Amino acid sequence: MLALAALVACATASPGPTASTAGAPLPLEKAATQAAPQPSGFITAYRRLTESQYRNAIADTFGAGVRINARFEPERREEGLQAVGAARLSITTSGLEQYYAVARSVADQVVDGRDRDAAIGCKPEGLDQAARDCVERFIARRGLQLFRRPLSADETARFLSAWQASARGYGDFHKALKLTLVDMLMSPDFLFRVERAEADPQRPSDLRLDGYTKAARLSYMLWNAGPDEALLEAARTGAIHSPARLASEVDRLLASPRFEDGVRAFFTDMLEFEAFENLSKDAATYPKFSQAVADSAREETLRFLVHHLVKAAGDYRDVFTSRDTFIDRTLAYVYDVPYLSSQRWAPYTFPEASERSGLLTQATFLSLFAHPGRSSPTIRGVRLNEIFLCVQIPQPPPDVDFSKVQAVESGTVRTRLLEHMTNPGCTSCHQISDPVGLSLERFDGIGQHRLMENAAPIDVSVQMGASSFSGAQGLGRYLHDSSLVPSCLVRKVHAYGVGRTFDPADADYLKRQGEAFAAGGYRLPALMRGVLTDPQFYRVVTPQGLAPNLQVASLPSGGNPILGAAR
Amino acid sequence: MTHLFSRRSLMRGALGGATVCVGVPMLDLFLDGNGQALADGKPLPLRFGTYFWGLGLTDTPQGGTRWVPTKIGSGYEVTPELSSFADLRHKVSVFSGFRVIGDGKPNIVHWSGHAGILAGGAPASDRVMEGPSFDTKIADALGVTSRFKQLDMSASGGSTTYSTRNGSTYSTAESTPIALYTRLFGEGFQDPNDPNWAPNQEIMLRKSALSAVMEQRQALLAQVGAADRAKLDQYFTSLREVENQLAMQLERPDPCEACVIPEKPEETRPAMTVDQITASSRTMARLLAMGLACNQTRVFNFVHTPGASTAYIAGETKTYHSITHDEVPDARLGYQRKCSELASLIMESFGQFLHEMDAIKEGDRTLLDNSLIMAFSDTGFAKIHALENIPVLFAGSACGRHKAGQHIAGRGEPISRLALTAQQLAGAPVGEFGFGAMRTARPISEVMALGERG
Repeated sequence: MLALAALVACATASPGPTASTAGAPLPLEKAATQAAPQPSGFITAYRRLTESQYRNAIADTFGAGVRINARFEPERREEGLQAVGAARLSITTSGLEQYYAVARSVADQVVDGRDRDAAIGCKPEGLDQAARDCVERFIARRGLQLFRRPLSADETARFLSAWQASARGYGDFHKALKLTLVDMLMSPDFLFRVERAEADPQRPSDLRLDGYTKAARLSYMLWNAGPDEALLEAARTGAIHSPARLASEVDRLLASPRFEDGVRAFFTDMLEFEAFENLSKDAATYPKFSQAVADSAREETLRFLVHHLVKAAGDYRDVFTSRDTFIDRTLAYVYDVPYLSSQRWAPYTFPEASERSGLLTQATFLSLFAHPGRSSPTIRGVRLNEIFLCVQIPQPPPDVDFSKVQAVESGTVRTRLLEHMTNPGCTSCHQISDPVGLSLERFDGIGQHRLMENAAPIDVSVQMGASSFSGAQGLGRYLHDSSLVPSCLVRKVHAYGVGRTFDPADADYLKRQGEAFAAGGYRLPALMRGVLTDPQFYRVVTPQGLAPNLQVASLPSGGNPILGAAR
Repeated sequence: MTHLFSRRSLMRGALGGATVCVGVPMLDLFLDGNGQALADGKPLPLRFGTYFWGLGLTDTPQGGTRWVPTKIGSGYEVTPELSSFADLRHKVSVFSGFRVIGDGKPNIVHWSGHAGILAGGAPASDRVMEGPSFDTKIADALGVTSRFKQLDMSASGGSTTYSTRNGSTYSTAESTPIALYTRLFGEGFQDPNDPNWAPNQEIMLRKSALSAVMEQRQALLAQVGAADRAKLDQYFTSLREVENQLAMQLERPDPCEACVIPEKPEETRPAMTVDQITASSRTMARLLAMGLACNQTRVFNFVHTPGASTAYIAGETKTYHSITHDEVPDARLGYQRKCSELASLIMESFGQFLHEMDAIKEGDRTLLDNSLIMAFSDTGFAKIHALENIPVLFAGSACGRHKAGQHIAGRGEPISRLALTAQQLAGAPVGEFGFGAMRTARPISEVMALGERG
């Protein structure tokens, strides 16, 4: 049951449709056809759907059985997040060709599938008025799901008229409907998350994000998916603008099993896991590495984070010190530990002597931030600073002579990096990046433990400013106690939700969220709840270069302080 | 909406004189004689492409040069790193001594070089160009006369190219031979020499259905700010391209005498080692040449290896990129021996591509003669990320517009002059290119058969 599967995701009491109800109004359809207001105000952002969001949208609308076999356009990362970069991206011709191929494949599967009557919602004979009504209901219901808002009358009419033209050409209801569905899937309103602002009726001189935009902000942050039926309903009625209802919706989404999807998506972005798609290791140096290891490593870290941060509601800072994790047989081989479970995955606690210490000693971080044939303290140090501390380390000067640094045939990397640390042109950055990287040197380029390099023992003691520590566990404790670690997470959670780069106007609000995060014991769900229920999260940033008539028309008389300058 | 069946003829009428080979009257090579056009009198189409490789070629202060010819002008001598196309060097011009001028901006390593070449000036930040890459202007000028307006491919496994219309969203490259094959010869390919060709009604319906999406354009553009307007514009341009591809499939393709559908390559993982990249660039070069001969595209961007190439030699711990920085120049030779070997390997791939292009006959010319390929790198001396003396090659005579086979010494001139020259040779209506210190209206007239221009 495609439609049933799609609606199961919606946590409401509405019963799902069955084959026998085909033709009767469906719950979503009711919302879609009732008082669908024209989109008002103006557009504040177009944020391209990520690949996982696209996949979730199709699964939520047509069921998880619809297969998507495609190569999506590369994402873009800004300030450490693809969610921010997505607001800068458009779609190139080659990218749109891929979307077109996917749209056609999805339409074929939906309209030719076994459950097509349920997916379509009605079963007309011929191409008469009943067929037209059926298509109109289909457009309204699926449009609401795909566009994350009701379609305007114009939009519905446009899709309907395209269907009529196709139906005349084919003389076939279903073939024409496929083309209509392709049209919807090719629309910018589906491929981009469109954020809109409108005048705030409570405070006529202010702007606010419209209800559907708020609903989508909630659901993408917490579920990495479009809003469900209840959220759309809260947007339609305007209830979502009430702080109490907003908070109860946030709580509902946090309590759902789908929150795990949201947490996985957030960390997949923050930890740059898309790089696993193209990760390669030299087979002669690392014979144990394979795509299976890469896939398992990724899963290990996500399981670990979901378990620790969501299921156990643990302290975020402990992800840098915990020796508890999950492994499978593939990873046991890399970590060189026994695997005794008969299950596919099993919890595992590394012994103290393993020197493992949380996230940074998992195969993900250690293999992603290394060369194909060796580790790299500098890369690890730079990336650790950027990802977990929000500290940007500048590019090296273009004319550095590396010859002395990288004679890899002898000694340990520490002796070679001393050149960086003493050369005045290099030292200011390498003093930040190298110590943390050197403390991880007992783990090679895929995360295997080692004590020697080129027959010399690896020294992992480091000095960071006033503090000194030793090895990965020392680094873990250092990060655990660093005030930058939680404040960086707060900043990333916010940026991930709003999809824009840091704005000083948000500084006080972020500080406030950081204090609440600390006071609550550094719990991620509470942080997300705090961010999502704060009005500042929904602050309207008026785009540059908006047409003057829109600036005036979208507001009641009296004007607006933000727009005043533009007029 | 444009009428379904008239697009190609319209484009020909509007642009033919400016974009196709024999339409330009003052050409001195192809003016007379046979073989200047296909049997039915239709003009031969000009092709344009970029061929990019990272990490430059070898030219060191102590060891002298491994690529810059001594002789200036025509008849330059074979140099070690350019020896792979020694027999074709009368069809290739070599440009040395040109540079990207920083204009006070930092040298963003492995970005400022090619971003500066493609967009016409030094970029302010990583992975952002200050405007469109110039290949898109050529694609626009050549118009819709092939199935794809442009194709992008990377032999090194990554999916990004450096082709952009707005400076931030980049085309997606086909990153394996099988992906390139499927794009060129998979679904939607129409054999231009099929005698039983008939238009497919299904495609006509699919094309007209898409117009429902296109109709929203004006309404949406009116509701957005400047940045989103640019994004939407790019989206609708892409949508128009997809429509155009369908429109092209509704027209009987022009016969292409040289078009032979190649064999399907094997499925392979994206290439990462030097050996794999060498193998995949060879296969992709062959597929691309045939894709051009079969008129599937007229503009392409081929990335052999990206800027900071992570290619590595199997069994060695260093990447090519780190070798360029780490390798101590050989005391006796005065240059980095391994770097020169690796650079020569890349030039061998380029040479193979030129030979593939030159083996395909069109009239009494070759596909290479009917093309202009601008090959360039991101750095001069890679060890120090030099933006001076970035190697650039122009291959193919651009249907006679390019006076090939010369060595031009730039002596510090802005490299934007070469990009401007390429655009003019390819028929783009561009009189000036670049910005800041790189702005120029002076193409390299020595290599232009249209001597008076510029």
